[in-house]
Amino acid sequence: MKRGRILAIKWGMNPNSSSLGVDVTFLLVGATALAMATPLIGALLRWRKAPVDPAK
Amino acid sequence: MIGAILDRLRSARGMRRARLEAFGAIVHLAWPRSLVFVDRVMARRVTRVAGEPAIWQGSEPAVGERVLSAPLEAHLQITNRCGAGCQGCYTGASPDGAPGEWGLAEWKRALDELAAAGVFHVALGGGESASVPWLGELADHARARGIVPNLTTSGLEGLDALVAIAGRFGQINVSLDGLGPTYAAVRGFDGFARADEAIRRLRAVKREVGINVVVTRHNFAELPELFAYAKQRRLSEVELLRFKPSGRGAAAYRDLRCTDEQHRAFLPTVLAATKRHRVRVKVDCSYTPMLAHHSPDRALLAELAVYGCTGGDFLVGAKADGRLTACSFMASPPERPRVTELRSYWERSDAFGAFRTWRTAQEPCASCDYHELCRGGCKVVSAHVTGDASAPDPECPRVQAHRPRVHLPVL
Repeated sequence: MKRGRILAIKWGMNPNSSSLGVDVTFLLVGATALAMATPLIGALLRWRKAPVDPAK
Repeated sequence: MIGAILDRLRSARGMRRARLEAFGAIVHLAWPRSLVFVDRVMARRVTRVAGEPAIWQGSEPAVGERVLSAPLEAHLQITNRCGAGCQGCYTGASPDGAPGEWGLAEWKRALDELAAAGVFHVALGGGESASVPWLGELADHARARGIVPNLTTSGLEGLDALVAIAGRFGQINVSLDGLGPTYAAVRGFDGFARADEAIRRLRAVKREVGINVVVTRHNFAELPELFAYAKQRRLSEVELLRFKPSGRGAAAYRDLRCTDEQHRAFLPTVLAATKRHRVRVKVDCSYTPMLAHHSPDRALLAELAVYGCTGGDFLVGAKADGRLTACSFMASPPERPRVTELRSYWERSDAFGAFRTWRTAQEPCASCDYHELCRGGCKVVSAHVTGDASAPDPECPRVQAHRPRVHLPVL
């Protein structure tokens, strides 16, 4: 059975009301650290299914 | 500690929601705070999707290949009233505000529309949003509609009321463009002590407090000290914003914008500061050309959702009178749609003009390896400097290097 993939993670929330802020702290530690975080996020996602917005 | 993490996970579980996209879905996690983009296979596993959604008909595109089904976030200028008078204010805010400013009822209707579209977050700003007496009620309405309200404030007005309602927001950042006299050099008046007080009082009642720093040639050298300040005040993040020639900022642009050398040094300077002081750093979308200059791993940038101009796609703005914009710095499209008409305007083939036609790029963007992510850089800067919003960002180091050299005639 295919497991599917996490394509991207946009970390944090953006309080800035003028432009889109993205967390680039991971550029310090590189792809390895992100690769370690991704399975944890995947496990959290599978923990409980999220309701989907009815508009779609 | 493990118990505390489990508690946060349990409390965040009910705040989870998802939105289908052509590539799969975007899932909002309340902890850790994130928007997670997943493909269709994973979307079936982690969301309560039934049957074969219409949006999944046809081939599965990559993230960014098509316009999203709705913005991720909306930037609402809930007032243009502000008495600070900063020389570089991008909205040209004044004590009188803007003509026809919306009130609570209209902004509630705007939130209803944004929620119906599937927007996850709003960033409330101004003017000075903290001076608005119904700010807390608006934040409550956003929460009730499943939208996380976030806030930017100067900290110069409305602080007592804001401290009382700080818990209703996801993240609050205070604008702080320098320490001590540098603040005055950038803003044109000495407001550092009041901004510092606001930061300390907000941080005393809320963990998710950070600073927004508009980076100019006057405070660039002070960035490491600003990170040290954030560490000292136990702030959750430093968000760095490029100076935009908008509002009063258009007149101050030549004096305040960073030099080309500073733009080239931006990424290493910032990463060194965040490493040294262990403070998370965010950069705004307009800095993507300055990141790309250092040839970072493109796949990593995509996995971090680092994009250049995503106005009219990942984000929209709304002026104080409700007019919809591709981003906060730009004027409303000629049709002058309101944010309460977001869904109908969003689907128009000509919506947001140059913001959605970035694929037809001029050189040197057209041949740039990062163009799919960068999207030509900041259209606000392009429009101001060249008169053409679709022109390559003139402050991009690659564009700077591509400019034809002017040879003086030999006499």
